[in-house]
Amino acid sequence: MSRAAVNRAMVAVVGLFLLVGGVLVLAGGFDLYGRLGLRHPGWWPLTSPDQPLVSVASRTRWTDRDWWWPTVIGVLVLLLAGALWWTFAQLRRSGPAVLQLPAPDNGGVALRLRSRALEQAVEAETGDLPDVLGARVRLVGDQRRPLLRVVVRLRSSGRPDDLLERFHTGPLAHARTSLGLPDLPVDLRLRVATSGRKAEPEPPRVL
Amino acid sequence: MTVQNPAPPARDAEAPGPVRRPRSPRTAWAGLVAVAVLVIGGGLLHDVIAVRTGHPARPWRAELAHQLAVRHLDDTPVRIGAGIAVLLGLWFCRLALAPGLRRRLSLRRPGAVIDRAGVAALIADRTRDLAEVDEVAVRVRRTRTRVTVSGAADPVLIQRHLRAELARIPLAGPHQLDVRVRRLPGQAGEQAKGPAG
Repeated sequence: MSRAAVNRAMVAVVGLFLLVGGVLVLAGGFDLYGRLGLRHPGWWPLTSPDQPLVSVASRTRWTDRDWWWPTVIGVLVLLLAGALWWTFAQLRRSGPAVLQLPAPDNGGVALRLRSRALEQAVEAETGDLPDVLGARVRLVGDQRRPLLRVVVRLRSSGRPDDLLERFHTGPLAHARTSLGLPDLPVDLRLRVATSGRKAEPEPPRVL
Repeated sequence: MTVQNPAPPARDAEAPGPVRRPRSPRTAWAGLVAVAVLVIGGGLLHDVIAVRTGHPARPWRAELAHQLAVRHLDDTPVRIGAGIAVLLGLWFCRLALAPGLRRRLSLRRPGAVIDRAGVAALIADRTRDLAEVDEVAVRVRRTRTRVTVSGAADPVLIQRHLRAELARIPLAGPHQLDVRVRRLPGQAGEQAKGPAG
């Protein structure tokens, strides 16, 4: 599962936990069960407004059992380990450091390319396109399914459709050809510089 | 007026099916929630182990247990806390389900997006090039762009020109353009909304 899917699933779990807990407390606190005449099974928690949130009795119900404290500590340790892994998963720079390239068949030659070299090559070539102020390229994904993530800053007098066309026939096509990956997917984000105005404006176009 | 995006050019080898909206990986929110879980769980674990090894419980946990035991469900702080939990829960569910990245608009090429602020900058740049335009404000939303121009320019011409310019930005979805011209003081007031097209 991708990191995005894990993130969304975990945020959903935490959100549902908060939502259900809050709704239960509110329903009990405003005595919705009594007012609306709702029936609830006997084990249903938090039903009466006069009830404490967590009574001493329910907090200490199992504290004298042998399994209670090892279970509490074990669950907390698992929770912490998961949260720790999840936190560091956000910080990790994704993407392979080296790309294994399909080598021509002359026996035992392994072709490897540092991802940074590819990123810099595409960056440089994209930056040289007309009306481009700068480009930032990252190779993400994994070895088998790499993905180029490109951010291009366009001059505000530039044309996005031309830029896309030039990028696809220029830097991207060259990268795909030289890597032997004709299907290398690309995410391109176009930003436009707001201060791209020339100091001396051209004479206004007459419509 | 909706700019009809023409069919993608045939030279585009990557068959453009329905363009998928990019989805945010929710990195920042995930990190925030993970750190919150880490802090709460870590504090709890530390204190539980301290108590099990013969140390007294920390005052915060004793106080928390006491409050949970004496506060009833209809106490105002409990209700407020539960209300906050409900709102936070709804917000998290929305974060989990909604695509996010609302500041970017999909372009017709697969995987290509443009910032809405970028569309605004492009349109503003084109508008300033026109004759008799003094000031221009561009507001780009997800499906419509509103351009407010002050000056003596002809709204119909501006509209025609900007419609062509907007069509040159290969946006994936339908996008509407509203042009308003605000006359400067001394000129005849006119609030023009271009003809539907």
